Amino acid sequence: MEEKTKRYEKIEFLGEGQFATVYKARDTHTDDIVAVKKIKVGTRAEAADGINRTALREIKLLQELSHRNIIGLLDVFGQRSNVSLVFDFMETDLEVIIKDNSIVLTPAHTKSYILQTLKGLEYLHTHWILHRDLKPNNLLINDKVVTRWYRCPELLFGARQYGTGIDMWAVGCILAELLLRTPFLPGDSDIDQLSRIFQALGTPRDEDWPGIKALPDFVQFKHFPGTPLREIFIAASDDLLEVLSKFLAMDPLKRCTSTECLKMDYFKLKPYPTPGPQLPRAGGNQNNNKNPDRTSLKRKLETDSGGLAKRLIF
Amino acid sequence: MAGNFWQSSHYHQWLLDKQDLAREQQHDLKIVTEEEYQKIMIFFANFIQAIGEHLKVRQQVIATATVYLKRFYARNSLKSIDPWLMAPTCIFLASKVEEFGLISNSRLITTCQTVVKNKFSHAYPQEYPFRISNVLECEFYLLEMMDCCLVLYHPYRDLTQYCADLPSTEGDKILPLAWRIANDSLRTDVSLLYPPYLIALACLHIACVIDQKDLKQWFAELSVDTEKILEITRQILSLYELWKNYDEKAEIITILRKMPKPKSCPSPPPNQGTNNQDGAQQSQNQQQTQQQQT
Repeated sequence: MEEKTKRYEKIEFLGEGQFATVYKARDTHTDDIVAVKKIKVGTRAEAADGINRTALREIKLLQELSHRNIIGLLDVFGQRSNVSLVFDFMETDLEVIIKDNSIVLTPAHTKSYILQTLKGLEYLHTHWILHRDLKPNNLLINDKVVTRWYRCPELLFGARQYGTGIDMWAVGCILAELLLRTPFLPGDSDIDQLSRIFQALGTPRDEDWPGIKALPDFVQFKHFPGTPLREIFIAASDDLLEVLSKFLAMDPLKRCTSTECLKMDYFKLKPYPTPGPQLPRAGGNQNNNKNPDRTSLKRKLETDSGGLAKRLIF
Repeated sequence: MAGNFWQSSHYHQWLLDKQDLAREQQHDLKIVTEEEYQKIMIFFANFIQAIGEHLKVRQQVIATATVYLKRFYARNSLKSIDPWLMAPTCIFLASKVEEFGLISNSRLITTCQTVVKNKFSHAYPQEYPFRISNVLECEFYLLEMMDCCLVLYHPYRDLTQYCADLPSTEGDKILPLAWRIANDSLRTDVSLLYPPYLIALACLHIACVIDQKDLKQWFAELSVDTEKILEITRQILSLYELWKNYDEKAEIITILRKMPKPKSCPSPPPNQGTNNQDGAQQSQNQQQTQQQQT
């Protein structure tokens, strides 16, 4: 175990979240660039729990999953409660792309991002796994991006039994953000979040969402009529608005599953999704400046994953 | 997660063959006989069962912990880490993985002390020596030695489904017996060697023979490797054969004295007042004290 700590040479700090700190590092055995996610030890009481339970869930699930749109767990090292997970290094994340004003996102780009997300999600959902924390940036959580903005109304109303719809709602918010280039529903409290959702999409009536009043934290909101999606997303095509309305259906049972969604017109009609390697890169640099010194294994991994395939990060 | 067994790490990485087991056990088998080795593994599976029952965890947790123990010693000598420490560590990790919840540190150690004192004093007359710091250190070795493969598939689910498929109400009648045989199968190596659905079928097969139920037709219609089912059946039956003439309470202490033990005690627990440290885990830590053997 101690040798493994030395195996990965820290290159730079990438970011810090609630549970972990992430570094870019070099694997001295293979010369590959990797991301090392060091789980925070937390309180003394948590340290006494042994291997952190959140980290353990991540380890146990990622060991069983293999999909080109889901990040690969390469290694685990550490000791006691001090755990580090080693992942494929991904050059950027969607949040960086969305915020980079020098990048032009075409409808084909947007389609490609959503398609890759849905494919990864479909794989998870068929394995009975909910992601529960989808947002443009899953790995490097900063203070401004909060999970709340991607949280569905049933969770905001305190639902304790929920399903794949929670992830589909988040995909809807991400698609909206790709179109708007700014978060769609940036609530600053849970109540404000619900208020923004209803202002934009209309307050649901009983017949829109049977059972809504039975949710544990239900509160009645003022009636907002909502704005038709085509007036919010003026440049969007009809087939796109159709999938968006399926993602953002208020009643979780009316939201489509990832499999249903992938069969919709949007993914069949032109423009066709941009192939992974041609997607825009951070810094507006469209050139493919691959490091020629990489080992064959890494190159193989890149080919397998279609270059810059977007991955779901836990 | 109820994933797909055929895509799992259990199927791809952790179905071993007999040669794998023999290779790792050969060093230990220079010190104890094959039968003694088997009795040691049965004994520590019993210890896990006793700790698990005392902690009131589900059988799923106990089954997972037992297979973890087997996986660890399938790749390591008994002297690498004392099974008296590895057993509660397996329960501790399995409880988290199976989402049973976290077992509190003090409860785990108190349970070990109580269980050893009340149920295993014939095998371990001293006070239970390990502390939670030992368990936490050991947890990581266990995780690493299993290559982080934590999700296991047990025969119970398959067994329930096969029984539901049996003609008329035969299934309801045969399930409890077959289930107990599946529990017993954890005292053999079958969980390391065969996929769980074949173990379930072997348990069902044995249960039918015991209960004199004729399910020949049903078995004949399955398109499975019957030879494999018979192999599993033979291994479980040989366990029953061993149990017939074996008095664990009387014999185990002699076997445990022979058992290969860790040479060093690297990180003694901070509040270790007694000197009855009967072996402890091995690690890269350099503080070594000579282990005393009783």
